[in-house]
Amino acid sequence: MTQLIQTLVLGLLLGGVYALLASGLTLIFGVMDVINVAQGALIILAAFITWALWNETGLDPLFGVFVTTPLMFLVGLLIYMTTIRWIQGKPPSTSVILTFGLALVIEGVMGMVWTATLHRATPDYFNQSFTIGDIYLRKSQVYGCAIAIGVLVILYVMLKVTWLGRAIRAVSANMSSAKLVGVDPTTVAALTFAIGVATTGAGGSIAAVLYPFLPGSHYAWISRILGIIVLGGMGSLPGAVIGALLLGVAETMTATYISPQWATMVPWAVIMLVLLLRPQGLMGQKLREDVAL
Amino acid sequence: MTAALGFAGRNAGRLAVAGLLLTILVFPVISDNRYYQTIIILSLLLAIMASGWNIISGFAGYVSLGQTVFLGIGAYTTAILSLRVFGPDEFGQGGANPFYFIPVSAIVAGLFAAAVGPIIMRTRGHSFVILTIAFLFVMQLIVLNWTDLTYGNRGLSLPLPDWPREWGNLPFYYIFFGILLLSVAMSWWIRRTKFGMGLIAIREDEDKAASVGVNTPIYKVLAYIASAVWIGAAGGVYAYYLSFIDPRTMFDIVYSVFVVLAVLLGGRGTIWGPVIGAFILEPLNQVTNNDFDRWFGEGIWDANVRLIFFGALLMMVILFLPRGIIPSVQDIFRKRRESKMAAEVGARFERKPLTVVERGALEAREAPAGPLLEIRGVEKRFGGVRAVDGVTLAVERGSITALIGPNGSGKTTLFNLIDGTMSSDKGEIWFEGERVDGLAPYRRAHLGIGRTFQITRLFRQMTVLENVVAPLSSFSWRHLGADAVSGPEAERAHELLGFVGMHKFASHRAGALSFGQGKLVELAQILMLDPTLIMLDEPAGGINPTLIAHMEEMIRELNRQGTTFLIVEHNMPLVLGLCDPVCVLARGQTICTGTPDRVQADPAVLDAYLGEDFVLEQKAEVSS
Repeated sequence: MTQLIQTLVLGLLLGGVYALLASGLTLIFGVMDVINVAQGALIILAAFITWALWNETGLDPLFGVFVTTPLMFLVGLLIYMTTIRWIQGKPPSTSVILTFGLALVIEGVMGMVWTATLHRATPDYFNQSFTIGDIYLRKSQVYGCAIAIGVLVILYVMLKVTWLGRAIRAVSANMSSAKLVGVDPTTVAALTFAIGVATTGAGGSIAAVLYPFLPGSHYAWISRILGIIVLGGMGSLPGAVIGALLLGVAETMTATYISPQWATMVPWAVIMLVLLLRPQGLMGQKLREDVAL
Repeated sequence: MTAALGFAGRNAGRLAVAGLLLTILVFPVISDNRYYQTIIILSLLLAIMASGWNIISGFAGYVSLGQTVFLGIGAYTTAILSLRVFGPDEFGQGGANPFYFIPVSAIVAGLFAAAVGPIIMRTRGHSFVILTIAFLFVMQLIVLNWTDLTYGNRGLSLPLPDWPREWGNLPFYYIFFGILLLSVAMSWWIRRTKFGMGLIAIREDEDKAASVGVNTPIYKVLAYIASAVWIGAAGGVYAYYLSFIDPRTMFDIVYSVFVVLAVLLGGRGTIWGPVIGAFILEPLNQVTNNDFDRWFGEGIWDANVRLIFFGALLMMVILFLPRGIIPSVQDIFRKRRESKMAAEVGARFERKPLTVVERGALEAREAPAGPLLEIRGVEKRFGGVRAVDGVTLAVERGSITALIGPNGSGKTTLFNLIDGTMSSDKGEIWFEGERVDGLAPYRRAHLGIGRTFQITRLFRQMTVLENVVAPLSSFSWRHLGADAVSGPEAERAHELLGFVGMHKFASHRAGALSFGQGKLVELAQILMLDPTLIMLDEPAGGINPTLIAHMEEMIRELNRQGTTFLIVEHNMPLVLGLCDPVCVLARGQTICTGTPDRVQADPAVLDAYLGEDFVLEQKAEVSS
């Protein structure tokens, strides 16, 4: 019983972090119809930057969030302006292939700078735990999950309250109508992409403490966050949160009760099952598509 | 001299390909440089991969990022068969001849495609791309974890082949060459058959393809199998060539992307583009890997630089050369040719009479009693909106029935339900005494339902003639291999184009037509189905008055020849003059059906659609 609760709690804590990591991917897809395959590589990039800061200056990796988030925002803006902008409106596969190329470039750059060896930011508290009864909660996981939830709340409020948020939702619902009422889709797309990439900053900093990583780890991350948004419904932020919690629990359960080797299979299995049985995911809306023709 | 240059220019592609093939064929004879031999062997492998990928992704437009899965399946099939079934001992020191297993590898890869294809090809766009990646990773993980069979991470070692040592890798070289030729020959054959044309139609507009009778599920799965078999065969050879395989190199996502890059570079959807792309890319890969160190010092070109280089190259190709080398070069020549044809674009319409085609099978069968098309209580909801809310409607044989009503009353949705583009939530649809609401769209087209779209949908990359030949009024396996544009059908297509007045445009690209011209071609296109019922969605919408008159004339003529019409139209003079009965739809329901006179006088119709002053306007027009 204790083991079950332990596994569940661990799954939920991880799920909270996964939710933040997946939020950018789903936001970008919802507004721009682009699957940013490089999102995984960007997470690892943020993790490396966090690690380097911690290693050089001793800055707590979780405080690294405040550095990596604005930094990754700029990286996102740069990527949008130089590449994504020019393929908007092309068939969906185009953006997948393009961002795959970007992921390879980022992987190569990280390999050159930091070499292809395992890294992990290990501040003092990374091996410490809180104990509640028989349940152990790793401090790093608790802090990480708390920060992730904080960033997610900020993101959610921003989307609900600000003009930019409304504009983003308007473009996401109907690009041409948004244009008619004076929303410039290019600006909105650029900011959305940048915000979506900025979430990898916070998420990557947290991930740097939770898991060891190397440049090639981005495949594991993209499979995870892709599985989450497919499960939750592509383009839906609440869906990403629910999907992340479910996937976090599914992964830890598989690792504990079946075998850690099969845990890597979970996201891919989820992707296959959901896309085949319920393509709109849990929270995605099925809208009629014929009217636009 | 100029003539020779012109010839060389026009046939540059063919000459390059012939030169390339000849070089590959004789290279081992004139040189025993093992290094270049290796480069050619790996280029051949990449070309086989690219050529296979091109069928599913270039022709049919279903982009796969997991095509190496079939290389892995082929390699593991051969390796496991050779080691597990026959056992390493049995072959002893002589080793095994790899070529026994090639056909098995090809068949197993094909079977995998046949099993997985029908499932994953129900999705499109993003979902399909993601599923192909998922399939690759799932297979990799299965092979990795099924250690009893595959030894997982430790991989499998294969015995050395049993041919004389001095042959070296030459048998691999020529067998890869042979597989590539077979693969390209198959692509070439597919491209010129009805099967290939169906795939292009699916790429251009899948729903439209289904509505003109293309059996899209079978076409897609066949394309997926075709794209897998030669890769599977190559996988078997590759396993022996490497003599050691493991899950990570065999089910490698990066190699999948490399294949995509090769095809995009050479030209997607062309026959030789993938081969040319592969023979540019793989030598580049090998030379940068092996020679840069020698030229510029150790460690310049490591795995990281390689990732950056090819990642960036992929992005460059997508951004700056999206159509690839071959199509871009062809475009230059096409533009020159088309400037000569431009004179005809402004030509006047000239309609020609149409000969009546005997509807052999249909005529022979006694027409069932009752209306041709009967809709009983059909409903369709989109979320909370009831777009069609219990429509009951009958279209009598030989009639020209109009369907009118305000915007959003459910007219086009009803069309979509009748032709199967959408499935209804409730109710029944009967056609020719057969219930059709559960049938696939292409089946309904085969039964004799043809429909045009409000905004014309043509296969834009095809010529006008190809567009008209593309519809299929039945499905048969033999048909798949028939010539895409063949004698009697091409004749009929020309005749139909003559009938609608578009015969001078037969060789123009459909994407270059004006809106009105598109409507005419679409009409000719569905006439190719020999439909008993033609559904026209706003035939007079957005075209000029002369063309409207033409359209009316053609509808009357086809109707005289026995075709029944169901027409959605907002042009009231046309509807009231041409159609009887008229059926009025409002808020998803039929509110009135009757003769034009009766409908015009019905207060409910005036209230919902025509407006109180409709009659006054009509009178005013008459008096002025």
